[in-house]
Amino acid sequence: MTSDKLHINKLYALSSENRKFSFSLPLKQSIRIGKRDYEVTLKSDEKYGTYILWKNRKYPVEIVRSRQNKYEILFNDISYTFTVETPFSLQRMKVLNSKKSKSDKEYIKAPMPGKIIDVLVREGICVSRGEPLVILEAMKMQNEIMSPVSGTVVKVVAKQNTNVMKDDLLVEIKP
Amino acid sequence: MLIANRGEIAVRIMKTAHEMNIETVAIQTATEPNAMYLSSADIIFDNTEDVSEIPVFLDIEKLIAIAQKSGANAVHPGYGFLAENAYFAQKCIDNKIIFIGPSPDAIYKMGNKTIARKIALASGIPMAMGSEGNISDEEEAVKIAEKIGYPVIIKAASGGGGRGMRIVRKSEEMEKMFIIASKEAEKAFNDPSVFIEKYIENPKHIEFQILGDTKGNVIHLGERECSIQRKHQKLLEEAPSSALDKALRDKMGNTAIEIAKAVNYHSAGTVEFLLDSEKNFYFMEMNTRIQVEHPVTEAITNIDLIEQQIRIANGEELLLKQKDIKLKGWAIECRINAEDVQSGFAPDPGKIMMMNMPAGANIRVDTGVREGSAIVASFDSMIAKLIVSGKDRKDAIKNCKLSLDKVWIKGTKTTLPFFRMLMRHQKFQDGTFTTAFIEKDLDKFYLNSEYEEMLAAWLATKLFIEENLSDDSINIDFEHGKEMSPWLLNKRLNQF
Repeated sequence: MTSDKLHINKLYALSSENRKFSFSLPLKQSIRIGKRDYEVTLKSDEKYGTYILWKNRKYPVEIVRSRQNKYEILFNDISYTFTVETPFSLQRMKVLNSKKSKSDKEYIKAPMPGKIIDVLVREGICVSRGEPLVILEAMKMQNEIMSPVSGTVVKVVAKQNTNVMKDDLLVEIKP
Repeated sequence: MLIANRGEIAVRIMKTAHEMNIETVAIQTATEPNAMYLSSADIIFDNTEDVSEIPVFLDIEKLIAIAQKSGANAVHPGYGFLAENAYFAQKCIDNKIIFIGPSPDAIYKMGNKTIARKIALASGIPMAMGSEGNISDEEEAVKIAEKIGYPVIIKAASGGGGRGMRIVRKSEEMEKMFIIASKEAEKAFNDPSVFIEKYIENPKHIEFQILGDTKGNVIHLGERECSIQRKHQKLLEEAPSSALDKALRDKMGNTAIEIAKAVNYHSAGTVEFLLDSEKNFYFMEMNTRIQVEHPVTEAITNIDLIEQQIRIANGEELLLKQKDIKLKGWAIECRINAEDVQSGFAPDPGKIMMMNMPAGANIRVDTGVREGSAIVASFDSMIAKLIVSGKDRKDAIKNCKLSLDKVWIKGTKTTLPFFRMLMRHQKFQDGTFTTAFIEKDLDKFYLNSEYEEMLAAWLATKLFIEENLSDDSINIDFEHGKEMSPWLLNKRLNQF
């Protein structure tokens, strides 16, 4: 090992809900539950595709997205997003987060691709939490996009009879 | 027989047709030219040149023309599309094509909810209080709502499937809800008319399967409970219902028969009721088609409903009598849809990359997709129906739980995690759930154990190591420079 490389002995996987899972390096092919280690194997074959074998059961896995240290993983039909951090990057992230001011606006985005059937609000009006903002049609279902907060509508981007992609901005609300 | 439908129901209908030695015609569309249902057909009608906006399954003139060109003398409409279109049924009759379903008159009367209400009222059928006919404007809506008392529900007169329905709890909300419901009804059913009913809080959804012939014989095949629904869309159905005993089953079943007789109903049909916590039941509507959830009834009665539909349409007399109907065991149907339960059941269209379904004596899988099939945004999001039976409810739940773990689908997200959670939920197990279950009793729509999350975290970490680390050393490009020293990093951080 050269001196300009950092020696790290641990990695952390942080979930999007801020749960922290730590793993010692080198990474073991097992996970400890209580006092027992259970073997984990990543496998792939023609019939099942990629899967994890754990406690004699196969779990389907899929890497949906990976960007830098961020991974979206589909495990047994549930998606999880983790950022993998080293002890140093974790420290750095903590410092950064403490300095970042909280966003003062709520951005309402399209939860799925579809067509805007109706826009129920306009700029300047007050909405309460749970009030429908936009009606989005996707796969023959009309979905009401509700306001997650009470506040004032500061911007309406959604337009009636237009198509939107997933995560397109619809409405901005100032709580 | 022309199948005026696609997907799993087209496959299902053709299965029975083959057993009855009836030749089938399926329509190949440009949207899904390689769909699985085409493999079940004796004759494939190539309609891939047709690129009009309206799906062929909704195009009456074209369907009649296809039937004539292909030499079909009968049409099975399946569910959805034109299954409950009286005009289509009439057009078939006018062109000497057997419509496998009820008479256009019965479809029309039951399809129009305000007419259906009047018929039920005249027959003394228990119903929730409501407006006598359609409501013309929000002022009238407010007036009637005050009379019957809030909460009320606004429903589309030509509606079904939950669209155009809005619950109103106070008069201030009425104007907005009335407009939304009416707009939605117009868009979905080409008819903006709506009516109002007293909203029954937290009911169970109980429906009765009816069979009637053209000679006036009508029987019921017991009930299905479909209380597990989201925004009025059913997710899981079971037969029988844990809420009914024999006395109530007989009473509700006879009421369902009465309603069917009031419109001289023939073919298979479903009478839907709401059952309140005091076990009062109210007629809601009658569906004049085969239902998505018909397999649970088939599982406990051992009767092929499609076969009965075909025989009845052919003018045969119903050989089954009410006393022949014996309900045996319990069946549960899970609708495995391409939906993201983590984003509030948002549709998740995509290509099915891998699909392995369980099989066994207690298991039935109805599907219209296979590996390589696409779940397209222009049709519904159904991948498969998993129907699992047991000797009683507990046994059926146990078998269902095991079967769900054997379903293996890759390519889209599915409703599987929802069902895995449901099978373990106390309220589902003890049968006390109502139609409000998903909205009120759940804080999470899916099952995942902490171990599963830990295993996913392990995988993310493993990937990170493979991509970034060698010799246990860091090799990641944090910002610009490679292998930045922690001292430099600290210095930079201090500048923030």
